[in-house]
Amino acid sequence: MTAVDARAPVDPGNTAGRSVITLRGVEKHFPIKEGALQRVVGQVRAVDGVSFEVRPGETLGLVGESGCGKTTLGRCISGLVRPTGGGIYFRLSDEDAATLDEIEAIPVDSRTPDQAGRIRAIDSRHRIGSMGGQAWRTYRRNCQVVFQDSFSSLNPRQLVKDIVGRPLKVYKEASGAALTDAVVSLLESVGLGRQHLFRYPHQFSGGQRQRISIARALALDPEFIVLDEPTSALDVSVQAQILNLLHELQEERGLTYLFISHDLGVVRLMSDRISVMYLGQVAEQGTAEELFVDSRHPYTQALVAANPDINAEPDEEMKGLEGTVPDPANPPEGCRFHTRCPVATPICGWEVDDAVAWLNAHEQLLDALVDVERRSAFDATLVFSGAEAATAVVAALENGTAPEPMRAALAEFSADDHKVNVRFTPVRPVELLPIGGERYTNCVLYSPQDVVVHH
Amino acid sequence: MADISAAPTRLTIGPGPWAVRTRRFGELARKVLSNPTTLIGFVIIVGLLAIALLAPVVTTPNVPDPYQMPRDWGARDAPPGTPGHPLGTTSTGGDVFYGVFWGARTSLQLSVIVVGITVTVGVIVGSLAGFIGGKVDEILMRTVDVLLAIPELIFALAIAAVLGPSFGNIIFALSVVFWVKYARIIRGQIIHVKQNEYVDAARVTGDSKFRIYLKDVLPNSVTPVMVQATMDMGGIVLTAATLSFIGLAQAGLVEWGVLVSDGQAGISAGKWWASTFPGLMIFLWALAFNLVGDGLRDVLDPRTEDR
Amino acid sequence: MTAAASAASKQATAPLVASVQDLQVHFQSKAGALHAVDGVSFDIRDGETLGLVGETGCGKSVTARSFMRLVQSPPGVYAGGRIDFWSNEARQTGAGPVDLLSVSDAEMLDIRGDRIAMIFQDPGKALNPALSIRSQIAEVFYQHRSEELLAPLGPDAPRIVRRAARLRTTGLERLLLRLPPLRKDAARLRTQVDNMVAAALAETQIANPRKIMDSYPHELSGGMKQRVLIAQALACNPDLLIADEPTTALDVTIQARILELIAELQQRHQTSVLYISHDLSLVREICDRVAVMYAGRIAEIGTTDDVFSNPGHPYTRGLMRAVPSAHHERGRLAAIKGNVPELIDPTPSCRFSTRCPYAVELCHTVDPRLISLGDNHGVVCFAHDSAIDLGVRPEELPTFSRRTS
Repeated sequence: MTAVDARAPVDPGNTAGRSVITLRGVEKHFPIKEGALQRVVGQVRAVDGVSFEVRPGETLGLVGESGCGKTTLGRCISGLVRPTGGGIYFRLSDEDAATLDEIEAIPVDSRTPDQAGRIRAIDSRHRIGSMGGQAWRTYRRNCQVVFQDSFSSLNPRQLVKDIVGRPLKVYKEASGAALTDAVVSLLESVGLGRQHLFRYPHQFSGGQRQRISIARALALDPEFIVLDEPTSALDVSVQAQILNLLHELQEERGLTYLFISHDLGVVRLMSDRISVMYLGQVAEQGTAEELFVDSRHPYTQALVAANPDINAEPDEEMKGLEGTVPDPANPPEGCRFHTRCPVATPICGWEVDDAVAWLNAHEQLLDALVDVERRSAFDATLVFSGAEAATAVVAALENGTAPEPMRAALAEFSADDHKVNVRFTPVRPVELLPIGGERYTNCVLYSPQDVVVHH
Repeated sequence: MADISAAPTRLTIGPGPWAVRTRRFGELARKVLSNPTTLIGFVIIVGLLAIALLAPVVTTPNVPDPYQMPRDWGARDAPPGTPGHPLGTTSTGGDVFYGVFWGARTSLQLSVIVVGITVTVGVIVGSLAGFIGGKVDEILMRTVDVLLAIPELIFALAIAAVLGPSFGNIIFALSVVFWVKYARIIRGQIIHVKQNEYVDAARVTGDSKFRIYLKDVLPNSVTPVMVQATMDMGGIVLTAATLSFIGLAQAGLVEWGVLVSDGQAGISAGKWWASTFPGLMIFLWALAFNLVGDGLRDVLDPRTEDR
Repeated sequence: MTAAASAASKQATAPLVASVQDLQVHFQSKAGALHAVDGVSFDIRDGETLGLVGETGCGKSVTARSFMRLVQSPPGVYAGGRIDFWSNEARQTGAGPVDLLSVSDAEMLDIRGDRIAMIFQDPGKALNPALSIRSQIAEVFYQHRSEELLAPLGPDAPRIVRRAARLRTTGLERLLLRLPPLRKDAARLRTQVDNMVAAALAETQIANPRKIMDSYPHELSGGMKQRVLIAQALACNPDLLIADEPTTALDVTIQARILELIAELQQRHQTSVLYISHDLSLVREICDRVAVMYAGRIAEIGTTDDVFSNPGHPYTRGLMRAVPSAHHERGRLAAIKGNVPELIDPTPSCRFSTRCPYAVELCHTVDPRLISLGDNHGVVCFAHDSAIDLGVRPEELPTFSRRTS
């Protein structure tokens, strides 16, 4: 096979007017199975509607705390897991993206056969999972991954030459002496050399192993590399070496990176643009500069404030967040961050679960809570063991020991003997909307979200 | 580890891949044998193999079938030290010395054949179940569970009894019983190894499933099988001896279990030698392979090997 | 945190809590003795937070574990030095310090968890998954506070109940405790245990301590588990708290809350803290003084302000420039070349000489000594030794600037 055969449907040399990777409403839900029959009882929404694009030559940073779905998203993009919803497109031209925008706005049933055909044509050339064989091979060659754990990402029974040379063998690019030479030049490009060819991975330090991983990822001369926390297992001095190497390689080879990390300092250093993820969704996106100097989303602000920074002003204190990340199998309504948000408003998605969580902090009231009869996420009857508890709850909701935005979001609450009816104003899920330039946020404070459901 | 950025770019290639691989094997062997009990086991095995090898040299093979015990009807129940019968004879005039030497050959053949068959079948079944997963896994493993629920010895006994007394049937019965363990072990290993990121890395390069299985999954899954196989080399001889002791091998076969059985009637009469020497051989055989298996496990354990 | 101001005042006057002198911990291996800790000396003063910072394998964790004699032996060997420890009580009565490396095992048991407590890196592994939170915290009280547990029962509590308060009961005695004459006393003991456990949990701002008490570790989030561990560690109001990377396994927003909590509890109880971390930025935020370790030795020690604004050791300088910062634009970092040297039977030398851009012959053959750069600031580097001409003046060492090629 020659390089010409592997040509992409879109001329790879011409990078103007196309993205490298485009995500359109990507979802990855993992079923929760229970019992002897393995019945599906719920879905863990690891990634829940993520859209962005990665442009040629840039580094997009993906930052978030553990469990936010960034690694799952990385695995979807690198083709290791299949998304359960939405689409991931490779080298999608702006023109095709516009076509998709236009047709996908029409419900599936009312599309004309021509429109459906145009979608299929685009899918077969660009969409991961629906691509034809040729397009798939092109994508496979051009999208590589560097994993976090350099101990588990190198086969302990293979020599460095076999590990780094393997992609070349798979695509029959080289063999024999040519293969050895190719591997040597790859090793040299990551700061290793011919003397390391016939060694096993365990004979190297963590930093060197990560260099081997990088050399393997470079073997097919890809356009795009997913870097999944490539330095989080390394010491700072070694991390600096690897980050510098990634920088140099990007400059030399015009690589495009998706850089996944939980470390704000590292992401800032590496990225042109950054997406901040929270609980399966993008909370804010923008250029690195914008996001750190002038972050808008309260979650981004919280991340920046909590991050210890060696260059921070000495009197700048680290500030944390209350509470814990909610269960991704049952994410909050409205804005997913509202349960921990210090500046939450009444339209952020207050719901029955928040009322119950608030009771959690009041020992006697929680003990008195017998049952929650839900009519919807926003409407329920709280059943208490006695009328006093119900009165106390109503009093707290009235006179303000309950959080102010939650009280304001209550459309109705009333005590009925030992029961309390609570109904919140229902809201829609927030959307990631542009707020000028490269910036997007899903926070109701900045983007004009149409969230309140009017009757 | 040397400083990589300061390391001179040598143009010598150093040892080639084969030299590296053999050196790795040599290191492994040295590590295994550095444990004194493993070394003892290894020495016993070498001794037993020597006995099997030297059998036609130190004794005159019986014609036409050397695995049929030669009978010296003139010297029945001769004690050890009798001229021509250094370890004595049985009540039917069988030479214990001949039995000990040729019995080693029988045991070697038996264990190599049975281990060969069971490992092959077990690895294939376990690999299919572990690597493909889903329904295939479900069906194969439930079958395995059913087989594992029957005690090994009783199962083998039943099969051999149904098929009639013959050494071939013992081999068959043992093969049917012993592969199940390997399927279990290799499946568990494969499911574990499959989760390693190097398997994901191989998928990202676009390599085929079968090659990923051959290069990444299988080589990293087989060590517990090797340990188990080594131990079974001993265990199988022990089980086979049990089966032939109770008469499931054809009479007159030169096999340690048969010899022990032949001699047991005489023990109460003080004729200890006919059972003791072959019994000792069974003991040594099983012990030696167990010792070596244990040593292998300590060294090959993936958690200790590569760090 | 006004670390600098308080540190200075604490420095001058505060009495010693612990003093490590020339600590040496070796690990025996086939290749030789690995000098994991190779002559480490520092003091911890009352109420201060001392940060011990360094990269993997620098010996910071081994040093911390030596305080509790938790280094596994074999292969670990305490090859020299001492760790003097003054408990509050010892200080008040004027008694001398005890050497933690030479006290008897029984004495160590009394000190461990009571006078010196430790929080570990992985809260998931530090809690026993099979025991409820209540019994894990209660353990500490049974071990060290049995008198307090018996307080509500008055001075003439039955012997069996006294033994129960020390967890010394036999099976038969436990049965007797359930039967009428003793049942009431046993119940009062249990209530007292519950009260003390709940109080300890409430200290760490856990919202609903009585509910958390009945849960098991797997039901709690990482941040919550770390709070439980902190409650356990501070239950007996120790004089010294050793925190071994307590927030490394946590997310930043949770980490910040846990650190606030530790700082607050420390202030309230006047506990001294030895804080182990690999994270320079974190240590800078929370410690009064900091000791930078490299390859089993201290490279630099001083107040956080001094060390971070005027680092004297080339390693400290290099390390600080290698830390990515959210305040730093896209670009390159100044990396320290090479790797940490092997520490098996090392010859006298500055351990950093293999990676130091200023190393001269002397650095490779002679152990450098601690040179004072000011009241509370010392550096182990020949460049600052006025008796030795290294060919490079201290002020010629690279300055703390992030801009490099």
